[in-house]
Amino acid sequence: MKKDVWRIGDHVLTSRFFIGTGLFPSPYVQKEAIRESGAEVLTFAIRRINLASTEDDSILQHVEGENFRFLPNTSGASTAEEAVRIARLARASGLSDWIKVEISANERTLLPDPLETLKATEILVKEGFTVLPYTSDDPILCKRLEEAGAAAVMPGAAPIGTGLGILNPYNIGLIVEEAKVPIIVDAGLGSVSDVAQAMELGVSGVLMNTPVAKAKDPVGMARAMRLAIEAGRLSYLSGRISKKRYASASSGHEQFIVK
Amino acid sequence: MLLIVNGESQELDARTIGDVIHHFGLEGRPVVVEADGEIIAKEQWPDTEVRPRMKIELVHFVGGG
Repeated sequence: MKKDVWRIGDHVLTSRFFIGTGLFPSPYVQKEAIRESGAEVLTFAIRRINLASTEDDSILQHVEGENFRFLPNTSGASTAEEAVRIARLARASGLSDWIKVEISANERTLLPDPLETLKATEILVKEGFTVLPYTSDDPILCKRLEEAGAAAVMPGAAPIGTGLGILNPYNIGLIVEEAKVPIIVDAGLGSVSDVAQAMELGVSGVLMNTPVAKAKDPVGMARAMRLAIEAGRLSYLSGRISKKRYASASSGHEQFIVK
Repeated sequence: MLLIVNGESQELDARTIGDVIHHFGLEGRPVVVEADGEIIAKEQWPDTEVRPRMKIELVHFVGGG
């Protein structure tokens, strides 16, 4: 079988797992989980340094950088303007010009603000960023983001951290069918079955943090998720059977012994 | 000089951004600096003078999804 690689812009990826770096019980567990996940892309957030503490709480000290692509997010932004500002700060780190546009307007749902997300994507693409917007699972909106120059589009399965799984598989499937850039399901996944379902719908990858970091055994769950991605992808490529209303015997209806 | 660093007013003995970084012991750490809305590249820290009530943001990467 030909090696199943994919691309974000010019960057070739083998793994289809983008893993988040928040909420892990310890840096050691996080490092092990990342290793088991096989992920090549890690996500981060940008925050103020805690000046009251002398301890270095930067996430980067726990990550050996060379092998990873960094995907900082604009979490905390509620407008396009704020997201653009955070994106510029992230790029000034010199570590990455990739940016996950994440703009939430509602604290309870953290659902993305689609209009601000589109606006920020347009601006950041013009500024030369590789833009991966996190957005709602609306097929038309996803298309608009692609047309605005997004390198990949990342519709949510469900609100961030809920683990509810894919609330609208019909939409995710339609988004994939229409897309010319990679579609990555970002947020709301909870278990391997959700992940396998996403991959069977034909998405190029998944982005997860909470379902791994908050699992009882994050390292075990990272591996389980990696296997689910592989299984789901292979199933998608292999073509599942269509659903039928009634039974069809595996050995046919000819030459029955009892007739 | 009175500066607003990460949202808090601070009286610092600082003439440049480099002095501010030194004050908080952040040399060698992966810090990005914004002063009055403008990103200051690391090479410019020693030469960028601070002004009274300048809004300085010292940010870095933390865990996130």
